[in-house]
Amino acid sequence: MHLPSPVAVAEIEDRLTAPLLSLEDVTKLYVNEGQSVSAVKQVSLAVAAGEFVALVGRSGCGKSTLLNLAGAMDFPTSGQVLLEGTSTSSLNDRQLTRLRRERVGFIFQSFQLLQTLSVIENVELPLLLAGVANARALAMERLAWVELDTYADRLPHQLSGGQMQRVAIARALVHAPRLLLADEPTGNLDTTTGDVVLELLRRVASEQKAAVVMATHSVEVTAIADLVVRMRDGEIAEMVRP
Amino acid sequence: MLRPMWREKTRLLLTVFAVALGVSVVLAIHLAGNAAAGSFQSSMETLAGDSDFEVTAAGGVPDNVVGVLAQLPYALRVSPRMEDHAMVVSTGHTVPLIGVDLVGESNDIQGKAAGPLAPDALEHLTDADSIWMPQASGHKLGDHLRLLINDHEREYTVRGLLPSSGMSVANRYILMDIAAAQIATAKRNRVDRILLKLPEHSGVGIDEWRTRLRAALPAGVEVNPQGSRTDANRRMLSAFRWNLQILSYVALVVGAFLIYNTISVSVVRRRHEIGIVRALGADRRLVLAAFLGEAICFGIAGSLLALPLGRLMAAGAVHLLAATVDALYVSSRPGSLALTWGSVALSFVVGIGVVIASALSPAREAASVSPVEAMARGQREYSAQVHRSRDLWIALVLAFAGVLASQPPAIAGKPLFGYLSALLLIAASAMAVPSLVYAVSRAAAPLLHKLLGVEALLASRSLTASLRRTAVLVGALSTAIAMMTSVGIMVGSFRQTVVTWMDSQLPADLYLSPAGDPAADRHPTISLELTDKIQKLPGVSGVDRFRAYEIVYQGMPAMLASADTKLSRYYRASGFLSHRSPEQVLGTLQAGNNAIVSEPFANKHHVKAGDTLSLALGAKVEPFKIADVFYDYGSERGTILLDRSVMLRYLPDPAASNLAVYLSPGADMEMVRQEIEKAASGYAVLVFSNRDLRSQAIRIFDQTFAITYALEAVAILVAIMGVAGSLMSIVIDRRREFGLLRFIGASMPQVRKLILVEAGIIGILSNVAGIILGVALSLVLIFVINKQSFGWTIQFHWPVAILLGGLTVVYVATVLAGLYPARIAQRLNPIEVVHEE
Repeated sequence: MHLPSPVAVAEIEDRLTAPLLSLEDVTKLYVNEGQSVSAVKQVSLAVAAGEFVALVGRSGCGKSTLLNLAGAMDFPTSGQVLLEGTSTSSLNDRQLTRLRRERVGFIFQSFQLLQTLSVIENVELPLLLAGVANARALAMERLAWVELDTYADRLPHQLSGGQMQRVAIARALVHAPRLLLADEPTGNLDTTTGDVVLELLRRVASEQKAAVVMATHSVEVTAIADLVVRMRDGEIAEMVRP
Repeated sequence: MLRPMWREKTRLLLTVFAVALGVSVVLAIHLAGNAAAGSFQSSMETLAGDSDFEVTAAGGVPDNVVGVLAQLPYALRVSPRMEDHAMVVSTGHTVPLIGVDLVGESNDIQGKAAGPLAPDALEHLTDADSIWMPQASGHKLGDHLRLLINDHEREYTVRGLLPSSGMSVANRYILMDIAAAQIATAKRNRVDRILLKLPEHSGVGIDEWRTRLRAALPAGVEVNPQGSRTDANRRMLSAFRWNLQILSYVALVVGAFLIYNTISVSVVRRRHEIGIVRALGADRRLVLAAFLGEAICFGIAGSLLALPLGRLMAAGAVHLLAATVDALYVSSRPGSLALTWGSVALSFVVGIGVVIASALSPAREAASVSPVEAMARGQREYSAQVHRSRDLWIALVLAFAGVLASQPPAIAGKPLFGYLSALLLIAASAMAVPSLVYAVSRAAAPLLHKLLGVEALLASRSLTASLRRTAVLVGALSTAIAMMTSVGIMVGSFRQTVVTWMDSQLPADLYLSPAGDPAADRHPTISLELTDKIQKLPGVSGVDRFRAYEIVYQGMPAMLASADTKLSRYYRASGFLSHRSPEQVLGTLQAGNNAIVSEPFANKHHVKAGDTLSLALGAKVEPFKIADVFYDYGSERGTILLDRSVMLRYLPDPAASNLAVYLSPGADMEMVRQEIEKAASGYAVLVFSNRDLRSQAIRIFDQTFAITYALEAVAILVAIMGVAGSLMSIVIDRRREFGLLRFIGASMPQVRKLILVEAGIIGILSNVAGIILGVALSLVLIFVINKQSFGWTIQFHWPVAILLGGLTVVYVATVLAGLYPARIAQRLNPIEVVHEE
């Protein structure tokens, strides 16, 4: 039997104890008409599996940029983003695609469902893109989890806003991601429907042990989040554990 | 209006270029047609002057008629002319050979001469080897030139140069004395035409003059206003030019679909802007004007670009056209291409007209939207509604109307109802395309998903969702494919029919004709002594002497021909419309004044078996009964065929235009051929084997239709450009979707595959619709338009290899057209496009 070396064992231990998502001194600059604008400045943040983090702050304070950096859709100008210990900047396009297919889920304010596909097809789409065999069964499972399995064959425009967002959540979770990134998921919903969606996200963190990072204006979120990160002008102004 | 257009430069350029290509094809065919037609108009009218009448007769006017006219008690200017062709041996060019009475007109010639005459020019005026040439020919006084006239090659000396005309085509001729020309062309005692100038201020009307002149002349001699032959040629060519011009509009029709698509996309994209300007006080007319203005910009830019492009295409087309006109109609040499103000106006009228017509519907739709509705969010995607079942019903009604329109006869020789039928079928197809796209995309989506993966599912769903846009694209491409298919089937069927016809109509082993360029209206002859020599050669069992004359029958050029019908190996049973045996039909020809006519002749002059023709032959006018109508694909001019013995009774010139040589059983063809060539040394004749003649005929056939293939290629190119442009707009409109796909795990190759699969599905749908429409159009082309325009019976035939090849090329090109849009889709920044709302 082949035993791992002491160094390898240490690395495995580090990984197990390391946070799922780690932003280390991350800065993101954009160049606009020759002027460089910093969207995120020297941000450091660690999120563990099963943790629910709320990013709050005014529009333009850097919340969405931070989510994109966390989901490996964008890359820091300096510093590094580590997802399960791997720096996103070190991956090539194929590896990044694989990372998104397997470990990250996204939820958007405006749901972003494909209007030409049915509810079930929308949910199974990430699995189909990844070439997973039993996509339909897994998608039905997720749809049942958000209590919309009876709506499987409907088209998105036949659903209410809250239902659409629940479908979007099912889609984001269908491949059981380790990290769920939600950008203002309740922004287009009324309070009651928004609360249902928040409850679902909370359950994702607690039941499925996924790290949930959510950018929001919603005050209610601060009450259910494990960590509230208040941002101002691209920097973390305050971190509070309620 | 301009700023949004400018933002998408590639698409703007593609649209402008599509309009430009469509317009330039129309312009090119217009210019090339004028140049090719202009040449025959002037070739024989060279030096004709300002005469009032021309006197002609089948087989030539007896030269005593000149004396009769000169002795009339009127102050007429009588100018007899010989008109034939000669080939300049050194260059291989065939030019008109004109013989005039140089003695009678010597003062005029001296006055007209472009420079000093040769010192002995007048001395040698009537010499058999003296010729005069236009200064622009590049020849000098005293130059020696070898000319091939009929089957004889002789040397001639340039005695004088005549001033050049502004028209390059009028500068290609050879002038000689009429007597020398009679010898050279072996037309003794006959002249080809006599021009008459009436006395000025005679106080007698032109009709009265014609009556007087006719009364003084033998019955078979015709008196017509000068230029009648040019008019007759023009009438004969009109069907050919008309059909070609119609075909040139196909690319423009395809372009119209694309303009419609461009403006529709523009309307949808700027719906929000429309709402704002309407809310700020703009009325519906302003919105309508803005979108029509956008379309007109495309029209103006496209028309401007079409001017040099059309001129360039015309330069290529004119040679193809001239070759066709030469082979099928009348001797021609392309004239100069003149881009006149008229052509420029045509370009702009066509270009701007087509964009306004195609942009009107989407522009009106834009103007009809209320401000509140327009400013509502969620209208970014192209989601205009299509009334599929209503459109399908309309399609059925249009198709039925198309079938009905194919029934009436031609109007003034033009198959106007045939064109209407084709247009109605194209419109029916355009209306049926949304249903086809919807049905096929929906039904095929699961299969495509299974075969090509999730990208195919997304592609087919997206095409169904943007049904109107997809339908317009498929409509454009399928129209171009349908034209390719229909013309391919028509030409392929025609070709096969000609091949089958040649099998039955070319039974001889060897054929002889005078050397020189062949043309439908030139009938040089082979010397009688050579014919007699060949007939006596060992191994030769018989020689059929075919003789042809150019005549004008009821104002249209035609060929009057004779053959040794006793040989009876010509015209097998399948060769006659009645399907009677050749013995039955040809036997009647030998019996008396009976004739058989070709199918195009019967069609042009609305005659049938049993009718009587009135033929002017020599000095007489004789009635001939039509014994039957024979299939003939050799010339569109129309042929009247008599037995040789009957013809010789009226036109006693025994020389033959062509010989068909039959070998004795067991004779070695190569040896007989060598014997014939030996016997023909000193004569300029060409000897063809049966196979040579067939391949030459097929070469001429293919050359004739080369231009139609070129026109189709342009239409296909326009459609492919439209596919590329539309796919680009699809990518731009659906950028959020592509960005989202990247967020949820799609790789860049998957996004590219999605676009390429969409292009592929568009290609398949277009091919399906195009083939269905193409077969329907081919039936209209073969059995209505061709039949009414040219009178040919064509047997339907599937040119499978050509069609498969053509469709594959179009399909591959369609998929390749998706490459650039796919690249754009790959390069989209997912973060920007997903968050831009």
